[in-house]
Amino acid sequence: MSVNAENTKAQMRKGVLELCILSILSKGDAYPTEIIDKLKETKLVVVEGTLYPLLTRLKNTGLLAYRWEESTSGPPRKYYKLTEIGEQYLKEVQQSWMDLVDIVNKTINQ
Amino acid sequence: MNKTVTINISGIIFHIEEDAFEKLSKYLSTIKGYFSKTDGGNEIMSDIEARIAEMLQGKTSAVKQVVLMADVDSVIETMGKPEEFVDDATASPEQEEQETQYTSAESVKKRLFRDPDRKAVGGVCSGIANYFDVDLVWIRLAMFLLVFFGGVTLWVYIILWIVIPEAKTTADKLAMKGEKIDINNISKSVKEEAEQLKNRAKKYGNDIKNNSENFKNDSQNFFDKLGNFVKEFLIVFTKFFARLIGLVLLIFGVMFMLGLVSSIFGFSIAGSNTEFNDWINIFFMERSHYTLGLIGIILFFGIPFLMMIYGGVKLLFKIHYSNRWLNISAGIIWLIGLIAVLYVGLNTGKDFNESAKIKEAVMLNTQRDTLYLSMAPGKELYEHLGVNEEDLEDYDDEGNKRKVHRRRSDYIVAKANGNKFIVGYAQLNILPASGENFELYVIKKARGFDKRAAVDRAKAINYKIIPGDSTIQFNEIFTVAANEKFRVQEIEVILKVPRGKVIFFDKNMANIIYDVENVTNTYDGDMVNRRWIMGANGLECVDCEGIDFDDMDKDGVPKPPPPPGPPTEVNVDVKDAKVNINEHGIHVNSKDANVKINNDGIHIDTKGNKGEK
Repeated sequence: MSVNAENTKAQMRKGVLELCILSILSKGDAYPTEIIDKLKETKLVVVEGTLYPLLTRLKNTGLLAYRWEESTSGPPRKYYKLTEIGEQYLKEVQQSWMDLVDIVNKTINQ
Repeated sequence: MNKTVTINISGIIFHIEEDAFEKLSKYLSTIKGYFSKTDGGNEIMSDIEARIAEMLQGKTSAVKQVVLMADVDSVIETMGKPEEFVDDATASPEQEEQETQYTSAESVKKRLFRDPDRKAVGGVCSGIANYFDVDLVWIRLAMFLLVFFGGVTLWVYIILWIVIPEAKTTADKLAMKGEKIDINNISKSVKEEAEQLKNRAKKYGNDIKNNSENFKNDSQNFFDKLGNFVKEFLIVFTKFFARLIGLVLLIFGVMFMLGLVSSIFGFSIAGSNTEFNDWINIFFMERSHYTLGLIGIILFFGIPFLMMIYGGVKLLFKIHYSNRWLNISAGIIWLIGLIAVLYVGLNTGKDFNESAKIKEAVMLNTQRDTLYLSMAPGKELYEHLGVNEEDLEDYDDEGNKRKVHRRRSDYIVAKANGNKFIVGYAQLNILPASGENFELYVIKKARGFDKRAAVDRAKAINYKIIPGDSTIQFNEIFTVAANEKFRVQEIEVILKVPRGKVIFFDKNMANIIYDVENVTNTYDGDMVNRRWIMGANGLECVDCEGIDFDDMDKDGVPKPPPPPGPPTEVNVDVKDAKVNINEHGIHVNSKDANVKINNDGIHIDTKGNKGEK
């Protein structure tokens, strides 16, 4: 059963990862490494690779936009920011997350 | 001490140990495999590469300049295995197939890319140099020589430029320089694919064995495996044949293209040839139609040939990248070619639309029973027609002037007084007349845009016959007015012979009579130089009695029989000896001796005793 528990945890993390990325970006523009550092604190991200396909997908759906910035050390950085659609979307998802947490907590504690 | 390699990731240079490099490049191509069919796959790839560059940069310093195995391991651990981080919503359905293709690879499969780091024009040469592990200088030199002296390679270069993708990401660049690939390795990889096929068949056989034991419990599993096997089999099978087809397409495409290029080359040379030029002017309504038609044909055939080469290269080198813009524009250009060909074809063809046939009777004032038919003695008739007889002569392969034996539907362009016009060849047929008298008709034929044009054109044909008291002189050629187009103008002469009357074909008539029917079915060439009488069933030969046509020489004159003379050889056979006398001498062969008398002297050969006098 332990395998299934791991799997469920991974699925849950994946589900909320998008929400977390959008939330981090709502507090200010960031480039992937910064996002990763923040996510790592929360243990949401196990491997970094997860982030890149997700960012590209969010960008392609119009929730994110990016700009290039030169870096003093290393390659130029892609700074992501939330678009207006992204902000709208985040609000909705955050609201439904709150509701969900409420309901789930209630269900668990019954 | 370890060997190090210098690589460029996201524009940053790293020195990396060779084994670490191999691991990293395998890792990158695995990731690339995952995202290759994903929307925005290249972007994800370059983001990941940028991050890896950043991480590696953190692991090197002025003191520790080289990237080690441990560094790569740690980068991979941080980044994660591709299967761990693929985003479900982004991954494509083909992901599984890609996965097996890339992760199962023992080492990086080398792929053909254009090398943007070493390019002079499009990076094609450097890409090829990478692929075949040859020094770039040689490829460039070969390309340069071929472009300037071969004339063919320029379009090959352009095709390659279009077909071969540029190595954009580091994974591309690594794949570009991966395993050494030469002709041997190509055949090796084809063999490997065949081997793979065999192994799968074997594995499948084992699976059946194992499965048949617990078939009942596990039938679902068995059918799954069967399905998988068929799927895998088809994949490998398709890959194998895709390469084969690619090779065939490439070879034929190049061959056809060479054929087209050389025939176009031939046409442009012929364009400077006056005779060919005359024909262009005489055949097409306007000269521009010829040019347009030629361009149309080049596009109409050239585009499919180029696409064959393009597709062949793609299949052969497994280039999974299609350029929709290229396909669409090739289609449009091909369509333009088609339209040009159709336009010229219809425009030229419509002038051949209607045909006309005019029958003109020629008055004969003869009361004789025998008519002598012959060809007019050139000069004055040719002069009448405005043709210089020498113009009608042709040259054989050795450049010697010769009189050409021409027939109906042979045409030449002649020139007189600065005008050019068509000269054609007439033909004569003999038919029975219904009345008592000889009748002579000239039938003129031509084609035109409508009936009227065709009739006018037919009427304008210039042909001359000279009827005499007991003779008719025909002319071999007819002419068409200067600057008139070629529209299948023809002249057929018909002589109707009444029953019981006789015609004689002069020797020189062989060129003009055509398929004249006669009761003995004698061939035209054999009918000349004889008299023919119109009988109840057609022409009968009057003076052919006892002649075997096979014995006649070209002019219809019977060959003389070989002159009688002395025998060329005498043979005498007596008991125990043979005597032979011929032009070489005398030869006696007896039981005891052999005697030869000839130019060399006398030679006697006896048993046990040899001598010469």
